[in-house]
Amino acid sequence: MAVLDEPIKQVISLKNYINGEWVESRSSQVLDVVNPATQKTIATVPMSTRRELEAAVNAAKEAFPEWRRTPPLSRVRYLFRLKEFMEERFEELSRVQTMEHGKTIDESRGETRRGIEMVEVATGIPSLMMGYNLEDVAGGIDEYVVYQPLGVFCHIAPFNFPFMVPLWFSPFALATGNTFVVKPSPRDPISQVKVAELIEEAGIPPGVYNVVHGAEEVVMGMLEHPDVKGVTFVGSTAVGRDIVYRKCGETGKRVIAQCGAKNFMVVMPDCDLEKTTAALMTSFYGNAGQRCLSGANLVIVGEDNAFYRKFVDAFTAAASRIKIGYGLDDSVQMGPMQSKDGKQRVLGFIERGITEGAKLVLDGRHPVINGDYPADCFMGPTIFADVTPGMTIAREEIFGPVASVLKAKDLESAISICNSSRYGNGNAIFTSSGKSAREFQYAIESGNVGINIGIVAPMAFFPFGGMKDSFFGVLHGQGRDAVRFFTESKVVIQRWF
Amino acid sequence: MILHTASEVISLAKKLETDLADFYEAVAVKSPGDAEALLVFTSENRRNATQVERAYYSAISDIIEGTTTFKLDASRYEFPGVVGQEAAPPEILAQAIEMESRVAAFYADAAAQSKSLMADIARVFLLLAHKHAARLDSLKTLGGSL
Repeated sequence: MAVLDEPIKQVISLKNYINGEWVESRSSQVLDVVNPATQKTIATVPMSTRRELEAAVNAAKEAFPEWRRTPPLSRVRYLFRLKEFMEERFEELSRVQTMEHGKTIDESRGETRRGIEMVEVATGIPSLMMGYNLEDVAGGIDEYVVYQPLGVFCHIAPFNFPFMVPLWFSPFALATGNTFVVKPSPRDPISQVKVAELIEEAGIPPGVYNVVHGAEEVVMGMLEHPDVKGVTFVGSTAVGRDIVYRKCGETGKRVIAQCGAKNFMVVMPDCDLEKTTAALMTSFYGNAGQRCLSGANLVIVGEDNAFYRKFVDAFTAAASRIKIGYGLDDSVQMGPMQSKDGKQRVLGFIERGITEGAKLVLDGRHPVINGDYPADCFMGPTIFADVTPGMTIAREEIFGPVASVLKAKDLESAISICNSSRYGNGNAIFTSSGKSAREFQYAIESGNVGINIGIVAPMAFFPFGGMKDSFFGVLHGQGRDAVRFFTESKVVIQRWF
Repeated sequence: MILHTASEVISLAKKLETDLADFYEAVAVKSPGDAEALLVFTSENRRNATQVERAYYSAISDIIEGTTTFKLDASRYEFPGVVGQEAAPPEILAQAIEMESRVAAFYADAAAQSKSLMADIARVFLLLAHKHAARLDSLKTLGGSL
């Protein structure tokens, strides 16, 4: 199959979007945005200064009073328009993601769809933001609750879903009457520039939505600015817990920090082998394993070694057939890692696995790449068998296309292995037994639970769960949680003399 | 060539519909007596392409098992070649029947392989499989004059 046309044909010099204007950063520090498949530079992104972040926060603060007085129905009509523009440019938005992140075109289109779903759900704010009331709580006295926006919120975006993840938060923030500042990942910031272009086109007033490119300086600016009411973050546990969550606690800001993971896929002997294998291919190797919901550990339950061997063989056979290449070739099933650093990190874990005695049954370190592309970021599916829970590859988040296969003698042992992890993000069981499924759902320490689902990604109208070292905060992104996160309740008791 | 990803299956679906549309359009020029019916086929084919694409774009999700769902041999469905303008009506009819049969088989197979994973897409595939199978009967009524 031919490679689809690339929408970015020349190197783009990215700007910040502040107060409705596209502003050239004054920073002298600029990074290249590189297509991980071709290793060609497709954009340059500035590492903005704290002053530039402050300008964006100030613009958002100035825009807030008028935006919050805009009726919710009027606010969501901008979002309807935004959705319309996103649908019109669906293919372009998707191909940009493939170019800057590396994921396949199916994956990019899926990401675009899921991002648009967030906007769709947020248009329900007129209903979702309603309070409640009771007349005559005492004679002639009524009491009611209203939900009100707070002001300026910020988002620190990860690299792995450059289009979708900020949309877990921004449409809800805007629809509820808040204003917003996004810091895209400097590795793949173009998607958020595209979103801002559509927001501008939708006519959302200046200052309501802002984009500031950068790194640590911009992040610290967000965390320390007194006018920022809350921060949403998706990324590593080290940054999420030790910097974002801690700092927000010190400065009294609301926080959602969705962090790292080590997800267990528990396979029971009564599972549907063929469908389970297909689901697990996407779970472990979709997005080249760079997903907080990716399968990491495959726990095969039972004392039947024959089932263990059969499953590992089927899993390995399916993984070995995955076609690797440039994601704009629509026959490709797995794209490259997003960065060379990411690949090196994964290679380090593979070395540890070998050193610690796990059995390398599928070696993805030197994959066959379809097409003439540099190997810098490409990896193939990797599988370790006979992994034990204490091994590094079973405990630590690898964030790449590496599956570790463990054994458990029964479901109770399997759940115990899962719960011994410090993470609790997206664990799943594959079984045809309702009893096993219920037991798993009941006992597993995981914010997102899958039953015969390989990637436990909640739809936009549900919250994105997470527990233990996978989540810091109280309310989650998406759905009704997001509405509550971006609003404060105010109780009114009224009497008329 | 074996197709594995949802994207390439949808691309093939669009190509088959477009090739069929172009074929009927060309035949309509040659057979003015059946032009009206043939041009209806043409516009149906173009609508089918849009319908498939719309279902895919609506249902595709970042969690979908779209990269490993399929195993379809494209050579079973692609059209082997189009008869020339000078071909006799029976040859043209035979070509049309062959093409429609291949497209119907493609959709039926694609529907079977996607039904547990991508509900909307499988439903559209099945619908189009039935439409193309039904068209075989319509073709036979045109047969004499093509």
